[in-house]
Amino acid sequence: MSGTNVTTVSREGQHPIDPFFPPDSMPSVWCPGCGIGTIVYTFVQAVEEMNAEPDKICVVSGIGCTGKIAEYLNFGSHETTNGNVIAYAADLATKKQDMKVVVFTNNADFLVSSAKDFLDIGKKRTNLLVIHFNNIIYCITENGAIPTTPFMRASADNDFELPFNIPHLVKSSGAVYVARWTPLRAGWLKYSIIDALSKRALSVIEVVSPCVVYYTFASKIGDAADQLRFYSDNSVMKQYEPTENLDLRSQSEVIIGKFVDKKED
Amino acid sequence: MTAEIHIINERCKGCKICVEVCQADVLDIAEEPNPSGFNPPYVKTLEDCTICGLCEMLCPDFAIRVSYIEEEDKQ
Repeated sequence: MSGTNVTTVSREGQHPIDPFFPPDSMPSVWCPGCGIGTIVYTFVQAVEEMNAEPDKICVVSGIGCTGKIAEYLNFGSHETTNGNVIAYAADLATKKQDMKVVVFTNNADFLVSSAKDFLDIGKKRTNLLVIHFNNIIYCITENGAIPTTPFMRASADNDFELPFNIPHLVKSSGAVYVARWTPLRAGWLKYSIIDALSKRALSVIEVVSPCVVYYTFASKIGDAADQLRFYSDNSVMKQYEPTENLDLRSQSEVIIGKFVDKKED
Repeated sequence: MTAEIHIINERCKGCKICVEVCQADVLDIAEEPNPSGFNPPYVKTLEDCTICGLCEMLCPDFAIRVSYIEEEDKQ
């Protein structure tokens, strides 16, 4: 290899994530270029930067690609069944008041199975951080319309409707911190996670992360790096934008930023 | 300061994000594949590296790490 400066180091301690993500399980199951890996590393960096104790943080996840996060991470991790993710995490947060419970959800976990539970816990000021991966599809329903399919993106069954506005939903259910980022803004995302981890009430961060393999529109954009750049170029940062304007539409830009930051009671 | 870029070849999945985001054009894709069959990056011009850490921050497979060595004053 012509790279003469590549340094070979021993297997232990070769990456800052190694204490939290067992090196034996690498490479992970996620597709090449998937934003989940970036966001997991951002989360670990945020925890390290806060000097939080790993024993005081609990990671809960459900099914699908994001369900693997709880399998991998060395925090107190729980992988639960489909449909019970938010309810399980809310119970855990109620019983373990000294712990910070972090939930990683995807569209199937959040919008189909757990949205009903979510309406309950916001009003109760549950100490919970939800990091929601919105990759616009379910993996198994590649061509069908789902609640987050962007407006005027015709699916295989020629069905289109307005996408679900997740920041508006969570704000109206009582979240004190709502933000939305893309994976290429990992630096912003890190400080957003630090802000949200320091809250003692319900806070939600939505990450619009492309599915690099299964999204049918992806073949028109290119490979993973091109898609990340596409999502980043087509996003515009508007802090404290009213949440009514935040639904994802195919022809307009994705609005990212911090939308709600209230003091908890 | 001298940059050090550690690439862990067997973790790489060849997504090329590190090459795309590098503003100083330090990295390039190698021709030899790693044991998984993906082409990992290699360090092309280390002296251009500005130690911004973007490649480490955005790598989804935790396969690249950037550190630096503080040089002593030559007085």
